[in-house]
Amino acid sequence: MSPAVQILAVGAAAPSWRLPAADVGAAWGRGGRGQAAVCAPDEDTLTLAAEAASRALDVSGLQHDIVDGLWWGTSRPPFAEGPSHAVLARAIGLSYNSAGALCAGSPHSGMEALLGAADAIGAGSARVALVVVSDAIVPGAGTGFEARAGAGAAAVVLVSHGGAASIGARVTRTHAFLDRYRGDAETETRDLYDPRLFREEVFVPTLRELGDQLAALDARAWSLPDPDGRLGATVAKQLGVGTPASAAVYAQLGDTGAAAPLLGAIGALDAAGTVAVVGFGGGRATGVEIVAKEPVSGAAMVASALAGGTTVTYPEVLRARGQLVASGETVQMGVPPASAQFVRGADEMLGLLGARCVDCGTINTPPSIHPHCTSCGSTKFVLEPLARRGVVHTFVVNQTMPAPFVAPLPLAVVDLEDGARVMLQGAGDGSDLEIGTTVELVLRRYAYERGVPVYGYKVRAIEEQSS
Amino acid sequence: MSWNRVAVVGGGLIKFGELFEQSYEQMAAGAFAAAVDSVDEGFEPSQVEAAFVATQRGTLWGQEGIGGNTIPTAIGLAGIPCTRIENACPSGSDAFRVGAMAVASGVHDVVLVIGVEKMRDKSAEEGLLSRAAAGHPIFTRGETAPVLFAPFATRHMHEYGTTHEMLASVAVKNHHNGALDPYAHFQNQITVEDVLASPVVCTPLHLLDCCPQTDGAAAVLLVNADLAQRYTENPVYVAGFGVATDHPYLHEKSTFTSLKATGMAAERAYAMAGIEPSQVDCAEVHDCFTITEILDIEDLGFVDKGKGGVASLDGETSLTGRIPINTSGGLLAKGHPIGATGVAQLVECWWQLRGDAGDRQVETRNGYALQHNVGGRGSGVSVVNILTTDNG
Repeated sequence: MSPAVQILAVGAAAPSWRLPAADVGAAWGRGGRGQAAVCAPDEDTLTLAAEAASRALDVSGLQHDIVDGLWWGTSRPPFAEGPSHAVLARAIGLSYNSAGALCAGSPHSGMEALLGAADAIGAGSARVALVVVSDAIVPGAGTGFEARAGAGAAAVVLVSHGGAASIGARVTRTHAFLDRYRGDAETETRDLYDPRLFREEVFVPTLRELGDQLAALDARAWSLPDPDGRLGATVAKQLGVGTPASAAVYAQLGDTGAAAPLLGAIGALDAAGTVAVVGFGGGRATGVEIVAKEPVSGAAMVASALAGGTTVTYPEVLRARGQLVASGETVQMGVPPASAQFVRGADEMLGLLGARCVDCGTINTPPSIHPHCTSCGSTKFVLEPLARRGVVHTFVVNQTMPAPFVAPLPLAVVDLEDGARVMLQGAGDGSDLEIGTTVELVLRRYAYERGVPVYGYKVRAIEEQSS
Repeated sequence: MSWNRVAVVGGGLIKFGELFEQSYEQMAAGAFAAAVDSVDEGFEPSQVEAAFVATQRGTLWGQEGIGGNTIPTAIGLAGIPCTRIENACPSGSDAFRVGAMAVASGVHDVVLVIGVEKMRDKSAEEGLLSRAAAGHPIFTRGETAPVLFAPFATRHMHEYGTTHEMLASVAVKNHHNGALDPYAHFQNQITVEDVLASPVVCTPLHLLDCCPQTDGAAAVLLVNADLAQRYTENPVYVAGFGVATDHPYLHEKSTFTSLKATGMAAERAYAMAGIEPSQVDCAEVHDCFTITEILDIEDLGFVDKGKGGVASLDGETSLTGRIPINTSGGLLAKGHPIGATGVAQLVECWWQLRGDAGDRQVETRNGYALQHNVGGRGSGVSVVNILTTDNG
C-alpha cells in the first residue's frame, strides 16, 4: 500500500499593495467594484512564494533543509527560461539536493504542483514535499479583467504521516480551449476573446461536470475558480454548495491565478471536515479533496496574512508592472547580474549566510568579502544562516534616487538576534522604522536588470516592539 | 628626526563652481599657475622635480582610468615623474602626505601636489548619484553619498540630543565664511530657517545640510625646508600627518556616533607634530554634510564627544570662536571637487598661518593649522595634515 499524503502545515502571503477597481475603471471610462492585490516594485511571484513557504515551514516546525522537494506552481515564473526554481529553493533554504518541479504556463499550474508533490509522497520518493503556488498577474492595460488581476501565494507542507489533513480523491477534465493566455515573448496576459462563449461552452459545463463528481464528497467548504467575479457564484449555485470559501480571498486579493485554488481552500482547514479544491486554466480543470481530521497548523493565520495592504493608485501599479516606463536612461549595477559576483554570492545573498569567527564569535557578512574577521583578524569561520529578526540601530530614508530607483528608499543598520549587524534596504517607505524598531528580514526583488531579477533581503517592522 | 623637514612655499586654487566652460586640463593649468604665482620670490615651473596628482574619479567626465600622465602635459611639464593618488575623499590630502614624504625622504627637493576634479560634466543622475547602483548589489544598493553619513546623524541625534538646528548652524556658519572667500562656490549667506525649509535629501539631512557638486582644482608647492628661504621669507612647515582606515561597509561599524578613522589619523598626526588638539589655531575639516563637521570636531579632539552640535550652535567654531573651523567656507560653501578639496583646504591653512586670509583671517596664537578629510566606502579613510609656522 502506498503511503498516505498528509498536510502538516500551510502558509499564505499577499503583496503589500491594494488597487481599487474603481481607480482602474475611471481610467477607461468604466466603473469598478472591489480591489485586487498588486506587487510593489520589489515584489513578484517568487518573493510571494518565498514568504508563503517560509511561513508554512515555520509553523510546521521542520528544518528547511529536510524538505525533499519543492513543487512550485505559477503561471508566470520570474524567468521565462532560467533558474526560477533553483533561486526559490535557495532563498527558502532547502538542501542542495532537493528535488521537485516548476509547473508553469497557466493558472492550472497550482493544481499540477499540488498533485505532483502528492504523487511524490505517494510513490515514496519524497517524505517531505513543499508545495508553493503563487502568481502576480500582469494583465493587459485596459482589459476587462485588469482590475481583478491579483497576486498572492499559498504553501502546503506535505508529509507521509503525522499531518492533520490528507489529500483524498481527485478528478481532472480537459477542454482544449483558449481562455486567458500570453503568447511567447508577450509580456501581458490577454483577456478572454468572448466571455459569453467561454461561459456557456467551456467554463460552466466543465466545472459542472467536475463539480458533480466532487459533490458526492459532501464537502463542508469549497474553493472555486472565479475568473470574472460572477462565474464563481454561478458555479456554486449550480452545484448547490452556497458561498465558496474562496469568495473572501477573491474579494480581498482579486484573481490570484495559480495561487487561487489553494489560497481559497487553506483558510477553511482551520476546522475538521472536507474541503473541495477546484482549479481551472489552460484548458484544464482539476478538483481535489482535502480531508481534515483536525485544524491544520497555519490555517488560522491565513486570513491575517491576506488582510491589510496599502492602497495605491493606478499609475503606481502601472509603473510597478513595467507598463508605465519613464523615458531616459537608468543607472546600471556596477556588476552585471549574471556575473561572477552573483555566482560567488548566490548562497550568501539568497541564503543570507554569515561567517561566524571561531575565535571571537563575531559574525562577518557577507562571507565572501571577509577572508579575515573584522574584529580579531582570524581566518577560521563557520558559515551559518543569519537570524531573520533584529533591532534597528540606525537608519535613513533616502529621498534622492536616480532611476531605476524610486524614492523614498529606506536603508537600515540592523542588529540581528544572533549578534550579526547588517545594512539592508527597508521593504516599505521607511515610515515603519525608528531606532529600536524590531524588524524581520523578507525576500525582495532588489533590481531587475538585463532580464534578470536580483533578489535579496529587506527589513520590515513587525508588531511586537522591543522595550 | 631622520627625515627632512618639508616647507610649503606656494599654493593656489581656481574659483570653485560649476565650471562647465573649463576642461579638466584647463582647471589643472589654472591651479598650477596660481600656485607658481603665489611664491614670494618667484618660481620656475621647470624646478618641479615630481608631481603627485589627486583625482578621485575620472568616470565623472568619461575617463575610466587616469594615470599620472594627464597633468604633466596639461601644465606644460610633460615628462616629469607624476603619480596619481586615489584615496576616496581624502585623495587630495593623501597626495599632499605622499608628496611631503617624497621630500622628507630626500628623494626629491621640489614637489608639486595638485588636486583636480571634474564633478559636473555629467548630470547628477549619471554622475554622483549613480553610485546608488555601484558597489555590492545587495549590501550597498541605494547607497548614495548622504547614506554614508546620514545614519550617523540619526544616531548622534538619538544618543546626544543633537538637533536639526545644531546641524543647520554648521551650514549657516560655513556659508558665512564662504561669502568672505572669493574662491568659494557659494557666495551667499543663509539662515537656519533656510536650511530647515530646504528639501529633505536623505533623512535627517536637508539639501542645505549637503555640500554641492563642484568643479575645481588646487595646487601647492613643497620643498626641502633647507631650501625654503630661496622661495619665501615666510614659509610654512609640515608639522605632522596621519592616515587611518576603518572597515569599508557601514554594517561593519561598531559605532555610529564617531568616525573611527578620523580619531586614529588625528592621533598619529598630533603625535608626529608633538602637539595637543588645544594648540590648533584653526582647522579645515571635512564637512561634506553638516553632521560630518560635528563628528569631525569631536573626533579631532576640539570638543567633547557628543558636544559637537552644541558647540556649533554656540558659535565656538566661528571665525571669532574658540576654534575656528572651515574658515574657507568648507565643503558646504566652498565646494567639494573631491581630489582638489584637500589640497584647497591646505592652501587655506597656508594662507591663515601666513596672515593672508583677508576678511576671514583668524588669530593664530600657536602657529598650527589642521586639515582633515574623511570618506570612501563606509567613510573608512581619513587623513589629517598639520601645518605650522614653527621652523622647528
